[in-house]
Amino acid sequence: MAENTLRPDTEFARQLMKAGGESLKECYQCATCSVACPLSPANRPFPRKEMVWASFGLKEKLMGDVDLWLCQNCGNCSDLCPRGAKPAEMMSAARDMIYRDLTKPAILGKWMSSSSGLGWLFAIPAVLWLIVWAIRAEIAGSWFPRAANGKIVFGEIFNGDYTIDPIFMLTFFGALAILLYGCQKLWQSFKPAGTITIIGKKKGWIRALCEVLWEEVIYASKFAECDGGPATGQKTDNRRISHTMLVWSFCILALVTAIVAIGHWGGKIIPAILITTPMPMTFPVKILANIGAILLLVALAMLTWRRARLNPRFQSSNYYDWYLLGIIWAVAVTGMLTQVFRLMDCIHAAFIIYYLHLMVVWMLFAYAPWTKLGHFVYRTAAQVYAKMYGRS
Amino acid sequence: MSNAILVVGGGFAGLTAAIEAAELGHEVYLVEKRPWLGGRVAQLTKYFPKLCPPSCGLEIQFQRIRKNPAIKCFTMAQLVGLSGKKGDYTARVRLNPRHTAPHNVDFSLLASTLEGTAPSEFELGLGCRKALYKSMPFAWPARWVLDPATLSRSDAARVAGNKYLDIGEEAREIELNVGAIIVATGWQPYDMRNLANLGAGGIPNCISNMQMERLASPFGPTGGVIRRPTDGKTPTSVAFVQCAGSRDQNHLGYCSYICCMATFKQCLYLTEQNPAVQITVFYIDLRAPGRYVNVLEKVQALPNVRFIKGKVAEAQAADGNVRLLAEDAIAGRKLDLEFELAVLATGMQPSLADGNLPLPIPLDMDGFVAGGEEAGIFTAGCARMPLDVSRSAQSGTAAALKAAQTVKGR
Repeated sequence: MAENTLRPDTEFARQLMKAGGESLKECYQCATCSVACPLSPANRPFPRKEMVWASFGLKEKLMGDVDLWLCQNCGNCSDLCPRGAKPAEMMSAARDMIYRDLTKPAILGKWMSSSSGLGWLFAIPAVLWLIVWAIRAEIAGSWFPRAANGKIVFGEIFNGDYTIDPIFMLTFFGALAILLYGCQKLWQSFKPAGTITIIGKKKGWIRALCEVLWEEVIYASKFAECDGGPATGQKTDNRRISHTMLVWSFCILALVTAIVAIGHWGGKIIPAILITTPMPMTFPVKILANIGAILLLVALAMLTWRRARLNPRFQSSNYYDWYLLGIIWAVAVTGMLTQVFRLMDCIHAAFIIYYLHLMVVWMLFAYAPWTKLGHFVYRTAAQVYAKMYGRS
Repeated sequence: MSNAILVVGGGFAGLTAAIEAAELGHEVYLVEKRPWLGGRVAQLTKYFPKLCPPSCGLEIQFQRIRKNPAIKCFTMAQLVGLSGKKGDYTARVRLNPRHTAPHNVDFSLLASTLEGTAPSEFELGLGCRKALYKSMPFAWPARWVLDPATLSRSDAARVAGNKYLDIGEEAREIELNVGAIIVATGWQPYDMRNLANLGAGGIPNCISNMQMERLASPFGPTGGVIRRPTDGKTPTSVAFVQCAGSRDQNHLGYCSYICCMATFKQCLYLTEQNPAVQITVFYIDLRAPGRYVNVLEKVQALPNVRFIKGKVAEAQAADGNVRLLAEDAIAGRKLDLEFELAVLATGMQPSLADGNLPLPIPLDMDGFVAGGEEAGIFTAGCARMPLDVSRSAQSGTAAALKAAQTVKGR
């Protein structure tokens, strides 16, 4: 008879409780949660099994669990949980621990895990962009210079070619590289010991990825499914519209950034596609950017309103949730205000707000692997894995 | 000063307390809000530990009351006020009108000619009663009740002028001087309408365990043949949903102690009537206290009963059947099964949880009595905690002794 030895890691269980799964030990394994979850599949459903792994501190099982990422955190399980064990919060806390520990440098994960590290996180971009400002101010002869035509042009200080673009490209691709490294580690942890045999046709990863992006990003079908659970007697807002709006606004803003970058750098070679900033308010790309920004603000308001109204008896938001919402709020608000102050010709306010905007945008990208934003990559990876190999 | 004892509630605990106190020589007033004594036990088909019919144990209690002039029973009566202090209380009791003569008149012939009906409280909505009714053959006091609200126009003409009926009888209040009080207000089945994910009481053929007792009772709406409420079909597949609203912070936060045993008992009812019936019991833990484990083992040995560890988290109507969703936590598989009849093993909620008994006693967060002894108020039965019948009776005796000690020598 095969022998199965359980090796509980009590320290891990404690960490998980500290990270937001305080009540996980309340669980008495009644399995209500697995049925409460409309996304949970019939075979080896979640989150009941995750709750018992968490209680025992079975770190490897939990941290390498594909299902952790198939959960969309609707909170149905916590609403119906007879013990107030809050499985949704445990799943969320486990994901947060992955953001914290998966990639290096570890210190960033630590700073990002609680508000006490916030000072350092703000200090880094604050100093970075202040140095840029100081150097450029020295060259321009003023901290708040005007362009030759008397208008406010941020490029006079934060020059695209020499400051913004290199720094952001480095940041963006650096963060992306770290995320992909994390992704690869996570992928390895998903794989069970031994070999996997796939019966039937195997799905290629590109096809699986395209399917996931279509279903999740463009269509957000999983959020719609979240409504399919049993009646809980609790009011739950569907996040499909708000989250999709947020994702689309990110797509629009990324597209605008890409067009401007191509127009700027490509314009140096092909003058016909040259785009100079600031763009006129009626320029199609500018209009698209403002549509994206408004969409972003509306989505943020909806998501924040939902979180603010959660009944803490069943579900609440943790630091990771608020940090991500907060930093995106900061990006959106400083972005809009920058434009407003520029158009109002308030030069001091415009430059200061723009400086803050650069700070928070840099934070959004640079720290992405250690924040909840990482879910975009990690959840996608888990879903691609599930499509290719099933859930191990 | 009084050495009389007031017992509030005429269920098994209250009956026992009243009889024991009276047999010790005290004057006892027993106040019961329903028309007959016996409480929840009277509604059961059989009860633990010996699986006797309720008439068995209650009959003995009724005999003891009949023989003991020290006990005054007030049925259809409610305690509405209390003043004074330990040793010298004045209790105000409202006596609701019964509208029938104060001796045993058999109205069955007259009742059978009446037209108007109302859902029977005693049958928990599974049957109807007439305006003139007696809910069970061994009811005690053996008096009928007339409910004028249920009389149709022609019924009213038919009963008018009957010299044993008094439509005009009105409620009245009396005052009782007592030295101690025993609270035996018992329990009510937890209201299925609160269980949103289990259909909120709106699924046809999804009944409660107390309704199952009525279906199996020889004096119940089906004459003791267990049939589905909607079409009268004898069910071939039955599911029991354990902990329906119990051990649940959103409903009853505690274990009701007896629902597992009630389910095992009902598995036996079903199997006795139809050995081919397929029974599935969905549970979190199987709790068979003390010697009751014998019953669990007996039911586990039945080839037609299977046990699935996993609480039912969703119930839906499925064309006359009941669809249940649960995870089999041992196999790690979600189950989506249909049954011809589903029984929700709902728990015991103390009657005081939503009532306002005018007594100076503290209740805990669930509505159970949590004190009062210093004021000479003692609690027996399920008003204090969920109990089975024999423990309820023991707690009745205990309360009677404490009450007797309180008023002794006054």
